[in-house]
Amino acid sequence: MTDRPDRNGLSADELAAELRVFLAEHHPGRTPPATVPTAAAERLAFQRTWQATLFDHGWAAPGWPRRWGGMGLPLRLQAVHHREMALARTPVAPSRIGYIVGPSLLAYGTEAQLERFLRPLIRTDELWCQGFSEPDAGSDLASLRTRAVLDGDVYRVTGRKVWTSGAQFADWMLCLARTGPAGSGAAGITALALDMHAPGVNARPLRDMTGGAHFAEVELDDVRVPVAYRVGDENAGWAVARATLGHERSTSLASAGMRYRRVTGDLLELAQRRGRTDDPYDRDALARAVTDARLLEWSGQRVLGRVLEGGEPGPLASVIRLQHALFEQGLHELATDLLGPHAALAASEAHLAAGGKQDGAWLRGFLRTRASTIGAGTAEIQRTTIADKVLGLREVGR
Amino acid sequence: MSAVDVESSAMFVFSDEQNALRATVRRFLAERSPETEVRRLMETETGYDTAVWQLMAGQLGLQGLALPEKFGGSGFGFVDLQIVLEEMGRALLCAPFLSGVVLAANAVLLSGDEAACAQYLPGIAEGGTIAALAVTEASGSWRAGDVTTAATAVVGGYALSGEKLFVPDGHVADLLFVLARTAVGPSLFAVDPAAGGVTREPMGTLDATRKQSRLTFDGARARLIGEDGGAERPLSQTLDLAAAALAAEQAGGARRVLEMAVEYAKVREQFGRPIGSFQAIKHKCADMLLAVESATSAAYAVGWAIDEGSDEVGVLASLAKAFCSEAYTHCTAENIQIHGGIGFTWEHPAHLYFKRAKSTEILFGNPRYHRALLADRLGI
Ligand SMILES: Cc1cc2nc3c(=O)[nH]c(=O)nc-3n(C[C@H](O)[C@H](O)[C@H](O)COP(=O)(O)OP(=O)(O)OC[C@H]3O[C@@H](n4cnc5c(N)ncnc54)[C@H](O)[C@@H]3O)c2cc1C
Repeated sequence: MTDRPDRNGLSADELAAELRVFLAEHHPGRTPPATVPTAAAERLAFQRTWQATLFDHGWAAPGWPRRWGGMGLPLRLQAVHHREMALARTPVAPSRIGYIVGPSLLAYGTEAQLERFLRPLIRTDELWCQGFSEPDAGSDLASLRTRAVLDGDVYRVTGRKVWTSGAQFADWMLCLARTGPAGSGAAGITALALDMHAPGVNARPLRDMTGGAHFAEVELDDVRVPVAYRVGDENAGWAVARATLGHERSTSLASAGMRYRRVTGDLLELAQRRGRTDDPYDRDALARAVTDARLLEWSGQRVLGRVLEGGEPGPLASVIRLQHALFEQGLHELATDLLGPHAALAASEAHLAAGGKQDGAWLRGFLRTRASTIGAGTAEIQRTTIADKVLGLREVGR
Repeated sequence: MSAVDVESSAMFVFSDEQNALRATVRRFLAERSPETEVRRLMETETGYDTAVWQLMAGQLGLQGLALPEKFGGSGFGFVDLQIVLEEMGRALLCAPFLSGVVLAANAVLLSGDEAACAQYLPGIAEGGTIAALAVTEASGSWRAGDVTTAATAVVGGYALSGEKLFVPDGHVADLLFVLARTAVGPSLFAVDPAAGGVTREPMGTLDATRKQSRLTFDGARARLIGEDGGAERPLSQTLDLAAAALAAEQAGGARRVLEMAVEYAKVREQFGRPIGSFQAIKHKCADMLLAVESATSAAYAVGWAIDEGSDEVGVLASLAKAFCSEAYTHCTAENIQIHGGIGFTWEHPAHLYFKRAKSTEILFGNPRYHRALLADRLGI
């Protein structure tokens, strides 16, 4: 590992310039060789190598403390980082879940836990999954039934998790389990860092409708978790689960906006390539897509702006998530429309290659984004949350 | 009479025989095309079960149902055929039925070529011949005028050269009907795929329950069907019938996913109550029913118009195809959403319907194409 430089004091332009030099030298291209939807392991290895390269050169985790291998950048520079990475089409982060779990560890973890977990998490030497949902506890997460019983200096955990993204490749799970009595709801839940290689853990990959297996069903049969790996206090896991992603989240919203600007650029390219830019209907649809992408970007920047001024992300942050989900679906539906009869083909069909290198990716995205309005909370739940918490409608009629 | 006038008002009521036909077909498909069979056949290259195909013909007479008696069929109406297709759509039957019995057979019939009808239709009617109609090329267009495959006159017939894409079931057909261009114009040809000059390969499809193929013709011997250069009108009529047939299939599939969604909404509990008690889910289901009932009305409106020989068929076919396509896609997406995480899994059938809906939305021209056609046909 080279010395990890401190880029904290750079100007935005300087940071961007340095990052571009680094990317010009190390960027491995967008996709691993011969990727097919089911070759998840191969893709993952490719992404991990890239993440390790970032880490080793001090370009990983822009918002995280330098002490644990992050860059410790101020928000203003984090946004620059996200922007440059999006524009350069760097490989997707191999462990998005890790980046969701990380901030919770930072907020609630003990010093020993941070020492143990953070560096390997950032470098993706160790992968994480998020074991919240269960077969009977999806939207109603607080009704989860996986039990953790204190037995000396370990918790013994038994239950079943489902739809756990990346569980089959994960080394650790941020696991929510019930420590309070049955029916204790959110007040009886504890968060644990559970070793996925421990005896009693069985992750069975679940195929999804794209044909790939990106999530898994996880059986937990009397798994022993040291008390030292409890994240936060006993029965205080709900707070860990809901730990807002804070500043990290705000900046990632801004970066998503950047990414979508690029993706809509790809969409315009697709339309041009398919000769679909003369028709008024097509032009209207494309103009709307550009509009929506820009709106996401600007709203992300407003949130970021507030946070930079030291404020709270505010109501817009809740709205943006729903907007994202709907935008992703709409964008891919439009792409399939532009693909014309080729949209009836499988993403892997060789004939698509003749049409264009990215056509298969659009078709994969078309299927994948059905989950945009389901995973991490459904669109219906989002709307209810916005109505209740942001607009204050929960109190009405009580 | 202008196309927007209402000439007759069919009652849209099914006869006892039609209800019995529906019940028979539904029972047959429940037994012969359960989800396990659909999933098994999806993975095969041919995409259908020959034994089931034979039973459909021998036991139920489905292939010949709506073909004229003089060509080996039973002479039933188009609405009867739609009833069958609606049930096939519900069951996601994997079989070259739409391609052969609807598309190919009607293309021959509408060509007006009696000799060809006498030669080819009995085989299709009795289930012995799997037929396919090849129209689309790289452009994906369903218009005869856009065809580029070339037919050259040679001694004793024609020779075809060109490429056809997205041909439903073309790789398993025993008999191909191909649209190609002669010096005079777009014409229909019969081609024996086993003879020289024909290469066929299945294409990887989004919807694995209905296969599509790529056909290349390199001097393949062909027989002209109907008039030289006269294929435009019969093709357009064939496609109207196909659109009407598909509309029924889509309405059937949409109704099935609505049922799935409602069944699930009644039993799945979150927050201590069935999710169907949440207004967000109630409204989704209600909107789905709106789409399903409207789609059913549209599908049978064109079916009845066909049986009555109405001159509104073209208008109604485009209207139904556009509407039913979108209604079906909408319902299948909502079905996934209502099922939450489980609806996104491979094991759950929700995605099979979603993919069928998307692929049939594109087949025979997408909703936008058909709305444009509708506007043309309305004379606006
Ligand atoms: C691709 C993907 C990846 C995932 N990854 C993970 C992961 O890594 N870790 C993890 O823990 N979980 C994961 N999940 C699970 C995800 O969080 C749940 O699927 C989601 O919270 C919905 O829960 P459910 O599937 O049980 O649906 P249900 O809660 O059963 O919902 C079914 C339907 O009912 C509606 N509904 C439920 N309650 C209400 C209400 N109160 N008001 C109105 N409508 C309601 C929903 O909106 C939905 O339409 C993943 C899911 C997907 C699809």
